[in-house]
Amino acid sequence: MKIAMITEGTYPHGFGGVSVWCDQLVRGLPEHAFSLVAIAGSAADQVVWPLPGNVTSLSTITLWDSAARPARGFRSALPRRVAADLIDSLLDTSAAAQDRFADVLRELFEFVRRGNRGVVLATEATVRLLTDAWAGRWRAHSVPSTHDAVTALHLLDHFLRPLSHPPAQADVAHSVANGLGVLPALAAKWRYGTPVMVTEHGVYLREQYLQNRDGPYRWPVKALHLAFMRRLCTLGYHEATAITPGNIYNRRWEELLGADPARIRTVYNGVDPAHFPALEGEPEVPTISWLGRIDPIKDLETLLRSFAIVVRELPGARLRLFGSSPPGGEAYRQRCQALAASLGIDEAATFEGRVDNVRDAYAAGNIVVLSSVSEGFPYSLIEAMTCGRACVATNVGGVTEAVGDTGIVVPPRSPAPMAQACLALLRDSELRHRLGMAARTRALENFTVDAAISAFDEIYGFLGRHRPLPVAAALAQGMPEPQPGTPLRPEDAR
Amino acid sequence: MTASGVAGDGGPPTTTAGPQGLDELCERFAAVCESAVDPLEISSALEFDGLTDQAARRLYGLPHVFALAREMYLRVPRRPAEPAAEPDPWRSDALRPALHGLLYGLPAVCYPAAAGLLTGPHVVRTLILALLASWSLSQALAYLGYRRLGQAGPGQSAMLMQAGMAAGLAGVAVVLAIGRLFVHASPPAFVFGFGLGAYMLGATVLLVLGADHLLLVGLAPGVLGAAAFLALGRPAGLAHAAWAAMAVTPLLVAGLAMKRARREARLGGTGRLIIAAELWGMLPSAGFGLVAAGLLAFPAAAGLPGHHAANTGAVLASLPLALSMGAAEWLLVWFRRRTQHLLRQTQSVTAFAIRARLALLAALAQYLLISAALIAIAVTIAEAARLVQPLWAVLPESGAYLALGGAMFLALVLQAFGIRGLPVAACAAALAFEVLWRGLGVPGQVASSTALLGVLAGYSAVHMGSAVRHAL
Repeated sequence: MKIAMITEGTYPHGFGGVSVWCDQLVRGLPEHAFSLVAIAGSAADQVVWPLPGNVTSLSTITLWDSAARPARGFRSALPRRVAADLIDSLLDTSAAAQDRFADVLRELFEFVRRGNRGVVLATEATVRLLTDAWAGRWRAHSVPSTHDAVTALHLLDHFLRPLSHPPAQADVAHSVANGLGVLPALAAKWRYGTPVMVTEHGVYLREQYLQNRDGPYRWPVKALHLAFMRRLCTLGYHEATAITPGNIYNRRWEELLGADPARIRTVYNGVDPAHFPALEGEPEVPTISWLGRIDPIKDLETLLRSFAIVVRELPGARLRLFGSSPPGGEAYRQRCQALAASLGIDEAATFEGRVDNVRDAYAAGNIVVLSSVSEGFPYSLIEAMTCGRACVATNVGGVTEAVGDTGIVVPPRSPAPMAQACLALLRDSELRHRLGMAARTRALENFTVDAAISAFDEIYGFLGRHRPLPVAAALAQGMPEPQPGTPLRPEDAR
Repeated sequence: MTASGVAGDGGPPTTTAGPQGLDELCERFAAVCESAVDPLEISSALEFDGLTDQAARRLYGLPHVFALAREMYLRVPRRPAEPAAEPDPWRSDALRPALHGLLYGLPAVCYPAAAGLLTGPHVVRTLILALLASWSLSQALAYLGYRRLGQAGPGQSAMLMQAGMAAGLAGVAVVLAIGRLFVHASPPAFVFGFGLGAYMLGATVLLVLGADHLLLVGLAPGVLGAAAFLALGRPAGLAHAAWAAMAVTPLLVAGLAMKRARREARLGGTGRLIIAAELWGMLPSAGFGLVAAGLLAFPAAAGLPGHHAANTGAVLASLPLALSMGAAEWLLVWFRRRTQHLLRQTQSVTAFAIRARLALLAALAQYLLISAALIAIAVTIAEAARLVQPLWAVLPESGAYLALGGAMFLALVLQAFGIRGLPVAACAAALAFEVLWRGLGVPGQVASSTALLGVLAGYSAVHMGSAVRHAL
């Protein structure tokens, strides 16, 4: 089969969990040919992953390069009505506007297909439409300016670029995130009838909201930007034949935005057990190990504060932090080091930098801790579990689903419960070993790369034959699909 | 503690904080709620803070985080914080444009000082040829330098400028050598012409690299030497010393430019020397340099009465107009800052268009006032030195140059907004008119300059009202 795999800002131009996952999937299914469609920031982004032989093509769509901006007024201008409909569908918050958005996006696609090089909304005429539509709004708090109108439309032009890319010809259009990544998938669906599949590790829309909280734009621009992302993500869920979140927790958002539960299949990340055999022995000194990117989202500050409590109770304990800062993110590490110094634990808590073999990082601790405030389904956790290490992890994203009853889950941003959990495990070697063994068993049963890959192979099979997914639980996954406690109502999102 | 799955969301499930707890939560998330565009933004923030559906149920009695966020969205009124002001890219002190005006104007003192050197037939033609070649090449070089600076940074720009300057010097030499096949000017005129080219190209590189002070250093020997020579009443015994001092300036400026560019280029890494788009893009700039030099020099050359004396055109073109380009640069910055402000102040494209056009009119009026004052001062001084006729007699010619200056200012504005074709075409048409109908003399010059100003003013009025053009 031929799979068009669509990524945004990840594989093969970036590192991180999603890229690891893409690489695993492509390498794990050598019988399928993958054509990669990568949405990147600029043409200067380098391919950092060696591409396996079954990757038949890589086309990169750049979002922000000025060189890729289509010529003004090429062939024909975007019809005024289409631009007006788009603006209206974004400003109107009623449920009916979602259908109008879907129609107008399709019209934009057809406009490009008729031979126009690209959509240009940042024109004098469209700016006029937007300022007219905005007139009188939000007088109490944010009067929209002409500058806001041009900025917002210019952003939309960039976001719509993937729609102008020639649609991929494949049996399945698999977008490895909702949002802009579904645009090339929708193009393939509209052009060739290709079934669409959307995988979500994090929730794209939630990340958009978080990223724009303190963003550079004024409120009216932010509102239009997020309205577009919300309409687009909703459309992605509507148009996908299969939605495969990386954990059950994400389903809440998907169903809230109108995803049909019958089309949702949770497929957990997996690791290769051969790379993570059970660890023999433990460090002599009671040691907590942490592995990850040194980033505010990992909340190392809470970890350091809880470790300060651990040291008070268990003098001589160590905390070893493995991993490096992302480019440009050095300030956070310095802040953490300053915090460690002010807590008086800068000798016991050490920043070890990058490790070549991540298994060494898990081996370095008696227990492994995850302190993040946001996660999808973290690799470091299931890797540590596969190694047979007992874990303490914050209750975010899919963490409870990963850990189950084989570790201790604590609330995020709460040093005291985390410290108590660490102390309980460090003091009780019998409990620690029992949980470690259970964790390994659980990971080998549920979170192997083979299980993940065969689940996707199966879904590709159904989609490629244009058949709907079978009734849930027929897929090879060990986890029960949850019964949501309270049904979500669409009005909760408005 | 047991090894049960979830060790809790902050406490045992016995307390319900209720409405009071909700108030506290709203207070804690006040900034998020006030700037939220919809309840989902608050949901995202709550989840990011670690709040789960269980906690929403237990602590606030609401079924899940989404319902809790919706309640908060309804309770807290919108009052978004304005984002931090963006850094003003057009912040610039008036000093730099004024310095640029001086840098453009100062070399003018060299012409009268070099008059003794520039004798013989065809000198004027040689100098005009040098002027045309060096203006067009230095405009092209400036375009390449600034474009690369914006797209790839100073190192890459310096690398391109280094090669471009060498190519430009070769270009000026070739043009003059070919010219010499047809007009047999004396070797000093030829060398002076080449020096003009070297100075222009070196000055361009230094200005693009932001090394204005080095240009001042380079100018010092020539300008000071020439000024002293003139002030002393052109004593014949000092002529050679003055010419030697003048010869130092182009050598020094070109040398400093090369050295500076090489130093910066070392920091730039490797990259393509030049790309096709840059070559195509520099053509309008080169063309503009060519026709602008032609418009300035042609009337002066055509009206030259003898071989030695300066004439009104040369006086007006060389000094006041060159100085006024400093004002033009400053007013361009003023206009851009003004329209950036207007984009944020207006709520419709119509309102913006009207006010942006008024701003342009104001900028043009300011430019014309400053230039008129500069011309008046220059003519008064020249008249006192018996270089030109009384002011009333040169009024039409002064008016023509004033209009030409205004047109150059508008061309500068249009080019700054990426409109480069029309200014070249309009200037070329005006130059062609002056050359073809040179028999008309000053009235022809007045007509062509005024028409050029009118065309460019009309075109700017149409295009400088566009909000999209100003905002992007």
